[in-house]
Amino acid sequence: MTAMQTNSTPAVVFTALAGVAIVAVIFYGASRKRKHALSPQQWKVFFTEDGRLRDGGIRLLKRVRSGGVGPRIRAEVWPFLLGVYNFNSTKDERDAVRTQNRKEYEKLRRQCRKLIKKSNESTSANEFLSSQDRSPEAESSDYPSIVSLEGDDYVNVSNADASLLDTDFIESPEVIQTVPSDDDQEDNNPMKTNKDSAEGLEVIQTAPPEDVQEDNNPMKTTKDSAEGPEVIQTAPPDDVQEDDSPVKTAKEPLQEKVPSKPPTNEDFSTWQRIIRLDALRANADWMSHYPSQAAVSDSVARRTAEAVGLEDYGHLEAGRIFHAARLVAILEAYALYDPEIGYCQGMSDLLSPIVSIISEDHEAFWCFVGFMKKARQNFRLDEVGIRRQLELVAKIIKYKDAHLFKHLEKLQAEDCFFVYRMVVVLFRRELTFEQTICLWEVMWADQAAVRAGIGISAWNKVRKRAPPTEDLLLYAIAASVLQRRKLIIEKYSSMDEIIRECNSMSGQLDVLKLLDDAHNLVITLHDKI
Amino acid sequence: MSSSSGQTSGHDLSFKILLIGDSGVGKSCLLVTFISSSSVEDLSPTIGVDFKIKTLTVGGKRLKLTIWDTAGQERFRTLTSSYYRGAQGIILVYDVTRRETFTNLSEVWSKELELYSTNQECVKMLVGNKVDRDSERAVSREEGLALAKELGCLLLECSAKTRENVEKCFEELALKIMEAPSLLEEGSTAIKRNVLKQKQEPQARQNSGCCS
Repeated sequence: MTAMQTNSTPAVVFTALAGVAIVAVIFYGASRKRKHALSPQQWKVFFTEDGRLRDGGIRLLKRVRSGGVGPRIRAEVWPFLLGVYNFNSTKDERDAVRTQNRKEYEKLRRQCRKLIKKSNESTSANEFLSSQDRSPEAESSDYPSIVSLEGDDYVNVSNADASLLDTDFIESPEVIQTVPSDDDQEDNNPMKTNKDSAEGLEVIQTAPPEDVQEDNNPMKTTKDSAEGPEVIQTAPPDDVQEDDSPVKTAKEPLQEKVPSKPPTNEDFSTWQRIIRLDALRANADWMSHYPSQAAVSDSVARRTAEAVGLEDYGHLEAGRIFHAARLVAILEAYALYDPEIGYCQGMSDLLSPIVSIISEDHEAFWCFVGFMKKARQNFRLDEVGIRRQLELVAKIIKYKDAHLFKHLEKLQAEDCFFVYRMVVVLFRRELTFEQTICLWEVMWADQAAVRAGIGISAWNKVRKRAPPTEDLLLYAIAASVLQRRKLIIEKYSSMDEIIRECNSMSGQLDVLKLLDDAHNLVITLHDKI
Repeated sequence: MSSSSGQTSGHDLSFKILLIGDSGVGKSCLLVTFISSSSVEDLSPTIGVDFKIKTLTVGGKRLKLTIWDTAGQERFRTLTSSYYRGAQGIILVYDVTRRETFTNLSEVWSKELELYSTNQECVKMLVGNKVDRDSERAVSREEGLALAKELGCLLLECSAKTRENVEKCFEELALKIMEAPSLLEEGSTAIKRNVLKQKQEPQARQNSGCCS
């Protein structure tokens, strides 16, 4: 009897573990054991009564860094991870940010529609943009140079904007897109609060979210930092009155020179065209994970598509049409918001998972803006950002594995151009939907920790773990190459072969192993790099 | 994806081919259709470059074609330009239903090609894709022929969707390449180099002979 009882305990434990493993397999498509993703219950517990995250989000970030976020609460958690909401904000403050963000997004959409109308009326949209000082070479900070909106809204905040909005809503069929889901989630939000909003509405309303955080987060921008905060101040005064003018860059040209390459001919209408092409061929693997979004009715999908001027979608099913239309709306708005980057292929890969998970366009937009704060460097016209990233990957490989690096040098592949795609679309092409999201969440949590100044010390206290880094992605990329070191050294004798190996990694990677390896690299190398 | 790694099996000739043209004209679709037997739709946009290898027999010769697929957006051009180097054949692709993709070939792409292609005799080919959508056609065959004449190259209209003329594109191109003595020479030295390399120790090689 007793013997049987003692025996049964391990069996129970074993079964429980097996359950965990199965969950891990389902969520991450990998067979390794791993901590649970953040669950809705845990998530709720993190908040105080006024809807503020306890301990400035440290525990949240720890959880996400080790296990990602459970599928059901992603839409709530991501805005924090992506810097849309401040970790120290109360529910009320977030509501205010959210309202303001929605207005700004809607304004961008109105501008998009006007530009489209204009370009349809033969005046090309380019004139519109190029007549303004768009200076692609200028940028080197992590901040979009967009500024006019703040000034704009400053004036409109309490009056004109709302009415303008309403009229626009009536004439625009695009309402469909926003309206049905638009009945404010605020009500559903589990975090009820009525205290505090010390920041003052004005601050919140007039600054884009990244700047709101500025106060509390010593935002460490990657390399060239420093520029960020000025962005607001440099808003040209004339932007204030011009409601309809598309976004201007207000930054002065600075340091980084564009290499001999002539300025591009790309303009807003080019972007519009490519955005539409890419939206229609977005990867559809999200559909099986979020069937409710995929199950949109045919008529809603078509109306939404028409509203953004999507064509040639007849062969697609409703869910994909709807998804494509939302991608178009948000990417177009982003191109206006950040005209130095505009639209570059690959950005739709980054936005698509966000759109799949966040049902409100304006929320998805601002999450995307948060995502792009770091990722936008990769899409810069002068390619400075992407080169820097590749150099860093090379450095990691060099420090970790001199032998492999020598081999790469021999093949003239030491510039690591073979990981170009992984850098640009952050493993989206190599990993499945769930795997990608897991990787991104862990990476976002790292970046958020760095942003919030939760540095090495806070982490070391707990246990010997990898400190958060801005560049977890690059460590993961280096790890994926290092995992193939033997193959590369022994079998490959040209860079072509390495490119092919890297471009055919999809389906071959175990995201958990990748993250483990990346974290190990961070532990051993972060001091040197 | 590709039919073979091509290194070990016997080929007579090895050629590098490059696909260029605007975004969304179907470069990747053409390539994937050619490589695999299934037809494809809605491929994600190409980021940077990619390539596939196909072995086939043309004119009695066993060929290994390394076909490079490039991103269409202008922004990627600095990157993709380095892949022109050493190409024996370049396929300029346009979409017969979108006129601007056709005009960009003469205004943009043919100039890129002149600028970056290192092979004087490099064979060019004009390919109008998506002829299955005939009702939406915006570029006539005659216009295509006229541009082909102007650029001094072949024209083929095809459809990656129906596979019409897809294989022919690559075969015709390969035949043309083999007609040029200097390119033929390059194609066979590439093979010899490989054979030599395999006989010697693999470490001894200096460069890949392809791209940087």
